[in-house]
Amino acid sequence: MKSWLPHHHYALGVTFRRLWAQKFSSLANIVVITLALALPLLGGVVLQSMQPVARSLAADPQISIFMSTEAPEADTQAVAQRIQRDHGQDIIGIKVVTKAQALNELKANPAYGQALAVLPGNPLPDTIVVTLKGDDLVRKSAYFVKTWQNFNGVELVQVDSEWVQRLEAILRFLKTTLVFISLVVVVAVLSAVFNTVRMQALSQREEITVARLVGATESFVRRPFLYLGAVTCGISALAALGVVTWLTGLLNRELAVLASSYGAEFALRLPSWPWIFVFIVGAAGLGALAARWSVTRNTRY
Amino acid sequence: MMIAFQHVYKSYGRGINNLVDATFQIKPGEFVFVSGPSGAGKSTLLKLMAGLDLPTRGTILVNGQNVGELPARSVPYLRRAIGTILQEVYLLDDRSAFDNVMLPMVVAGRSRNESLVRVKAALNRVGLAEKSHLHPKELSGGDQQRLAIARAIVNRPSILIADEPTANLDRQSALRIADIFRDFNRAGVTTILATHDESLIRDYASRILFVDQGVVIDGGRRMPGSVVMGGQR
Repeated sequence: MKSWLPHHHYALGVTFRRLWAQKFSSLANIVVITLALALPLLGGVVLQSMQPVARSLAADPQISIFMSTEAPEADTQAVAQRIQRDHGQDIIGIKVVTKAQALNELKANPAYGQALAVLPGNPLPDTIVVTLKGDDLVRKSAYFVKTWQNFNGVELVQVDSEWVQRLEAILRFLKTTLVFISLVVVVAVLSAVFNTVRMQALSQREEITVARLVGATESFVRRPFLYLGAVTCGISALAALGVVTWLTGLLNRELAVLASSYGAEFALRLPSWPWIFVFIVGAAGLGALAARWSVTRNTRY
Repeated sequence: MMIAFQHVYKSYGRGINNLVDATFQIKPGEFVFVSGPSGAGKSTLLKLMAGLDLPTRGTILVNGQNVGELPARSVPYLRRAIGTILQEVYLLDDRSAFDNVMLPMVVAGRSRNESLVRVKAALNRVGLAEKSHLHPKELSGGDQQRLAIARAIVNRPSILIADEPTANLDRQSALRIADIFRDFNRAGVTTILATHDESLIRDYASRILFVDQGVVIDGGRRMPGSVVMGGQR
């Protein structure tokens, strides 16, 4: 226990000496790992920034059921009651807008008032507006459209928030893609560190032999290599964070212009500090893991 | 007993035995020369004594510990009690002579102050105090050997093992190195030296172990100036 701190101090010193001794090779490794880590980090930033937008837009997913213009109001009420009875657990609210109410609302709008005045009758149908709740709205909406389309007197069933649900589906796809990319990056980082440590272990063969000769434990021999993996990946993670911060600032300027043209506000946001900490520590841990694997395999002599 | 070999065999495969049925004992404080032609098995014998290799068969006791039955995690601690100088000196060229000798101190987890005192003392003992700032490549062959000795003794081992420490050295340098080993032995350190330099054995006569084709023959104790030939098993 008394030697724990000096041993770690020595291992860290050896690590930085080795990194410095092969500075160009070390730098090249760090650049490669930085770019590999920046890719999923940027993807994560985009996804994380888009999810609240999709959630706020999809806050009130609605389905409009347009009745046939000939359908009596009793049929409309019957359809509304049936929906409430059969699917009440998936519904927040159900509202019937009769053709007369719809016409009055339109007439109240000066833009349509004159045009409607010249019409001989009321061309509008009765409408039922159903507000859904719960998860998996894409699947549920598709099912409701198919089911309610067959109800007596129904002319058309339309999902009002379909584009938002499509956006959610795209986000889910992107999330899955991001998980896949992250796995590929993990393998790439493991391979890069494994190979770096392998080369180091071969070039430090003499030092390892001497250390064993004078009574070094295997932990003592391995420790500088573990630090090498952890430090390389930790620095790369910090650099990746820098790259993504810079890119986010750059993209936000363009996005602000785009979003304002739609009268909206949208900006990419970096993850919170706890997530950044997890990212850096996770990368360093991954580096140490790869180094441990490599040094165990490549110092058996 | 400091070191005891009981029916030890060592084979590196293909049915060739590098050591055959070696049985001998070395008492604390003895000065033992291991002699024999090149490839006879001297280095194999020393590596087994130093815990750097394991026997294929038989029992090796060092400081009362059975080397073959030691758990892997305990072997480094055995090595710390033995100062080993291999035929190839294995000095680290990326650091000074001082830092080369400092390594065993770091490995053993000694405090900074204690380490500084011990390293200086070890370098002083082998006559390298003035050259402690130089890197191994800047030292002569003899000085490199001294540096390897300083590294081996800095942990104050109870056993000192050296494989051909005077090979490739001129006579004068070889005698200086041998003097250093004799001084350590006189201070109570069990010293085992492998050499095929018969004049060295004659001048520093002590107990001799002959190794020939893997067979160890105990040549007994020798008096200075006596003829070194043969021996009895």
